[in-house]
Amino acid sequence: MTQEDLLSKLAAKLPHLEKAAAPVKDYLTMRMGSADDLIPSAKVLKDDLGFDYLEMISATDWLGAVKPEGYIRNPNPNVFLAEGATPQSIPTATPGYNYRPMFGVLWLFGNIPERARLFLRLEIARENARVPSLTGLFKSADWQERELYDLMGIRFEGHPNLIKILTPEFTQGHPLRKDYVHIKDKYDE
Amino acid sequence: MSPETAATAPREFKTDTLFINLGPQHPSTHGVLRIGLTIEGEVITKAVPDVGYLHRGTSKLAEVRGYHHCVVLTDRWDYVSAMPNNLVFCLAAEKILGLKVPPRADAIRVAMCELNRLASHLLFFGTYGIDTGAITPFLYAFREREMILDLFEMVCGARLTYNYIRLGGVMVDVTEDWIAKCREFLEYFKPRLDEYDTLLSFNPIFMARTQGIGCISKEVAVNWGLSGANLRGSGVNYDVRKADPYCGYDQYQFDIPLGKTGSCWDRYYCRVSELRQSVRIVEQALDKLPAGPFMATGVAKVPKPQPGESYAHVEASRGDLGIYLVADGQASPYRMHVKAPSFINLAILQELLAGRKVADVIAVLGSIDIVLGEVDR
Repeated sequence: MTQEDLLSKLAAKLPHLEKAAAPVKDYLTMRMGSADDLIPSAKVLKDDLGFDYLEMISATDWLGAVKPEGYIRNPNPNVFLAEGATPQSIPTATPGYNYRPMFGVLWLFGNIPERARLFLRLEIARENARVPSLTGLFKSADWQERELYDLMGIRFEGHPNLIKILTPEFTQGHPLRKDYVHIKDKYDE
Repeated sequence: MSPETAATAPREFKTDTLFINLGPQHPSTHGVLRIGLTIEGEVITKAVPDVGYLHRGTSKLAEVRGYHHCVVLTDRWDYVSAMPNNLVFCLAAEKILGLKVPPRADAIRVAMCELNRLASHLLFFGTYGIDTGAITPFLYAFREREMILDLFEMVCGARLTYNYIRLGGVMVDVTEDWIAKCREFLEYFKPRLDEYDTLLSFNPIFMARTQGIGCISKEVAVNWGLSGANLRGSGVNYDVRKADPYCGYDQYQFDIPLGKTGSCWDRYYCRVSELRQSVRIVEQALDKLPAGPFMATGVAKVPKPQPGESYAHVEASRGDLGIYLVADGQASPYRMHVKAPSFINLAILQELLAGRKVADVIAVLGSIDIVLGEVDR
C-alpha cells in the first residue's frame, strides 16, 4: 500500500486526521486535533484498516534545550581531548526554532500484511499532561505507556497499572523532561 | 483419656499462596531481571516481571552528546548483538543528515549484522539448552561463537561493543585476509548446523520440555507487539528485512523461517533456522562485495543537522529495533527514543506465565530471548 492509497483511505474513514506539516521522514504522519480523538481513531485503524500492530509509543518534550543540572556529573566529559582544544558544548536553544510548553506524543501503527506504517501525532499541554491509554485495544501499550509515564511524566488515563518501570522508586521527577533537575539521593555521595 | 500427642492430634491441612522471587541475580534470568511469582502449589497464579535494574538512561545521555558519540551509547543496549544497534542509530541519523552511504559500506554492514545475528543466536542456543537442562550444547555453541567474535576483533578490535558502524559508512574496510577467514569460518560452520539439530532441536527430552509450552497465538502475538523470532514463531510473517528493506536487503536471497503453534520450541527452532539464512546472507554479501569507498564523503566531525524528525528500524537479533530521532539544529539529538524489542517482548511474560507450572518458567522466559541491557537501556 503506497502512502497515497493509505492517505485516501484515511480521508474516507478518519476525516478528522490531517497530514502533519513536519512529518517523520519517509513515513506518513497524521496529526490529531484533540486527545478525545485517539481511542476512536485507534479503533478504526485497528478494526477497519488493519493497523493491528502498535509498534511504538514515544513522546517529546518541546520545552527547549536540556538543562545540564539534570545530569549527576559533568554531562559531556571528554578525557581524550588534546591540550587547549575546546570540548563540545552542551546544546543550547536554537534561535528561531519553535519551542513550546507542549508534549508531542507519537504512536506508530503497523499493518503487517499490507506492509504499511502510520505515525499518529498529538500535542498536549505540558501542565498536568494526560492522554487516554490504548491498553484496552493494544496490549503492547502497557509497558510503553508506563515507560513514558516514568520518564516523561505523561499520565495515560485508563491504564490499569500506571506505575514506574525503569527508574528506581527513590528517583524524583521525570528524567526525560527538558527541565528535569537531579535531586540528590542516597547513592550520590 | 489418653494425652494428645503429635500422632493422634487432628491434622490441620491448609493451602496458601506463596510468593517467590526469581532473580534479580539468577543465571537463568540472563541478567538482572526479577520476576515476582505467586504460586499455588505447582501452579503460577500471578507473575510480575520487574525491570529497570540496568537502566542507564541512554536517551537522556544522547541529548548532550554529539551524533558520533551516540553510536557508542548504542553498543550498550543489546550487548550480545551490538552491530544492529550501531546500524539503526546510524540509519536514523543518516536520514536526518541526508548522508548517502556507499554500496561497499552497505554490503559490509549487512555481513557484520548477519554475523552478529549468528553470534547472538548461538548464545541463545547454548543458554536455552542450559535453561532446559542440557549443558553440552552450550560448549558447542560457544566454540563457534568465539570464532565469530575473533572475526569481529580482527576487523574492529572489540569483541562485544564494536562501535564499528559509523555515520556514513563503517570504521575501517575489511581486508582480503579477513574475507578469507570469514569464508573459512562459514565453511566450518555449515555442517555444525546439522549437528545442532541432532544434539538439541530434535532431542526427545528437550522437545518434551518445550513443545506445546508457552503457546502464543497469532492474534495475541500481534496484540502484544512482539517482534523478531517471537512473532515469527507464532506464524506471523513479519521481518523488517523484507517488510521495510534497508541497506539493500531486498537484493539478497533468503527465506523467513516461520513457526506453527507459537510454542517455546517453535520460537527456538525459528532462531536455529535463521542461522542457516544468515549464513546464506553473509555468503552473498561477501560474494558481491562492491569495490569503492567504505565511508561517505563529507561527514562532518560535529554534524549539525537541519531540524527534523526521522525513524529507522532494523531487524536486530531480538526483533524490530527502532530509533526515533528529533533534531533541533544543535550538535546533539533533541530527543532519541529507542523502540527496544526485548522490552516489548518481555511484557507478554505476565500473561504467558499465569496458569503454567513452576518448571516451565525458565523454559518460557528463555524462549523469549531477552537481553536486559536492551530491556532497561
